[in-house]
Amino acid sequence: MTEIIVVTSGKGGVGKTTTSASLATGLAIDGKKVAVIDFDVGLRNLDLIMGCERRVVYDFVNVVHGEATLKQALIKDKRHETLYVLAASQTRDKDALTQEGVEKVLNELTAEGFDFVVCDSPAGIEKGAHLAMYFADHAVVVVNPEVSSVRDSDRILGLLSSKTRRAEKGEAPIKQHLLLTRYNPNRVEAGEMLSVKDVEEILGISVVGVIPESENVLAASNAGVPVILDENSNAGQAYKDTVARILGNERPLRFLEPVKKGFLKRVFGG
Amino acid sequence: MSARAESLEAACDLRFGQVGIACVRVRRVDAAALVEELERRVRSAPQMFTRAAVVLDLSHLPRLPDDGMVDAMLEAIRSAGMLPVGLAYGTSETEALAERMGLPLIAKFRAQYEPAQGEAAAAAPAPVAATPRAAEPAPVPGVEPGAAATAQHHAGSAVRSGQQVYARERDLVVAAAVANGAEVIADGSIHVYGSLRGRAMAGAQGDETARIFCSDFRAELVAIAGHYRVFEDIPKEFEGQAVQCWLDSGKLMIARL
Repeated sequence: MTEIIVVTSGKGGVGKTTTSASLATGLAIDGKKVAVIDFDVGLRNLDLIMGCERRVVYDFVNVVHGEATLKQALIKDKRHETLYVLAASQTRDKDALTQEGVEKVLNELTAEGFDFVVCDSPAGIEKGAHLAMYFADHAVVVVNPEVSSVRDSDRILGLLSSKTRRAEKGEAPIKQHLLLTRYNPNRVEAGEMLSVKDVEEILGISVVGVIPESENVLAASNAGVPVILDENSNAGQAYKDTVARILGNERPLRFLEPVKKGFLKRVFGG
Repeated sequence: MSARAESLEAACDLRFGQVGIACVRVRRVDAAALVEELERRVRSAPQMFTRAAVVLDLSHLPRLPDDGMVDAMLEAIRSAGMLPVGLAYGTSETEALAERMGLPLIAKFRAQYEPAQGEAAAAAPAPVAATPRAAEPAPVPGVEPGAAATAQHHAGSAVRSGQQVYARERDLVVAAAVANGAEVIADGSIHVYGSLRGRAMAGAQGDETARIFCSDFRAELVAIAGHYRVFEDIPKEFEGQAVQCWLDSGKLMIARL
């Protein structure tokens, strides 16, 4: 049975694509057959983060319009056997996607025996975001610890429970996972950032993971390597924990405590 | 390829939107009086009413007039300078009539939002009290299917930003949080057992005895029967407290429980 996971947020720039890449890679490391689809038609980024931007020949829109087969468009990840990327089109706009077309692609992926399909949603609540979430079984709602992101996520949580196929058919609701990214315990302690508890309280659901703010994320993105593969970074480890939790395993939350600067750093700065 | 791609795109989009539309509610069958009344209205606000689309509402007549009379009334509206575009409300008779007249029946949303015997000037669930009779505001925009239009309660699940819950002709009980940017509206009283961070409007049809109760007050706005208060800053003495709101001779009162 193929499980469809949408990674969404409402607000832009909170880490949806970073999360999609790491989540898909993490699931593949676990041996699952995974496809990750970029729904951000016109502003494609996932291929960059996955490091396959120079191997895109056909894209998602081509498949939706029957201009290429799914097999032609799926890009096999160079690091993991069971991971495939379906890139977005950079030259088209979001209206190029249709509900029927998306459903056809998802059905084909199901028929191909994929365990997970990760849908990287565009920002906003327009057509692209709607189509990315419509067929989902799970939703990872990415939120930053600041008020505008929290409010947008609240809106998205509302849409997930009303504007999706599961909601329209009256089936079991989408499983919602709240993922807090760019978390900086020092700034939380200084009162400049919402805490995990604040966010959980406002949104009324608990987090599935907390990804600490980390320089490694940017470095990994620029290198085209999902940050989950960076064993030395806290962000990478936090993503590993998150993937394990989504797969039903228990992991304690880490990296929530402020890092105390050492004596020398305090004296000399750093 | 681009030609082919174009042909694959839909020729049009079909979208539903909600627009405000004036509604001519006929109180007695008298085409001549109707012309006179409407002409007076159009003269008083030509910018608003000249060539304005209106729907003809016959639901307040004891019985449906015959086709000739309805034709005469439609003609009366036209001669006053407005454009009738449909009939309002939907009994099966009105539906048959609309079909004979070749007009659409605009029924569904009105039926949801007005009481069956709605003489009380259909107060829109918004913090504005009096609405002109001839130009009722459109119903609550953006109601999502997930938010049931009538609900005794909305148990368990939070009312999210952008959602609205409206309890028609009864109290509303929300057993979860009401988020920033969400709205809970009731013709009766409102009880919120989670945080109230959004807007709460009780007595939406004008019931001044309606009250709002909540266990964790952080509201953006509360209103009872059209009297409202906005909270740019949550008053310190009420923030996070259990409070109730009520009307005391037209003044909106708030106190801790």
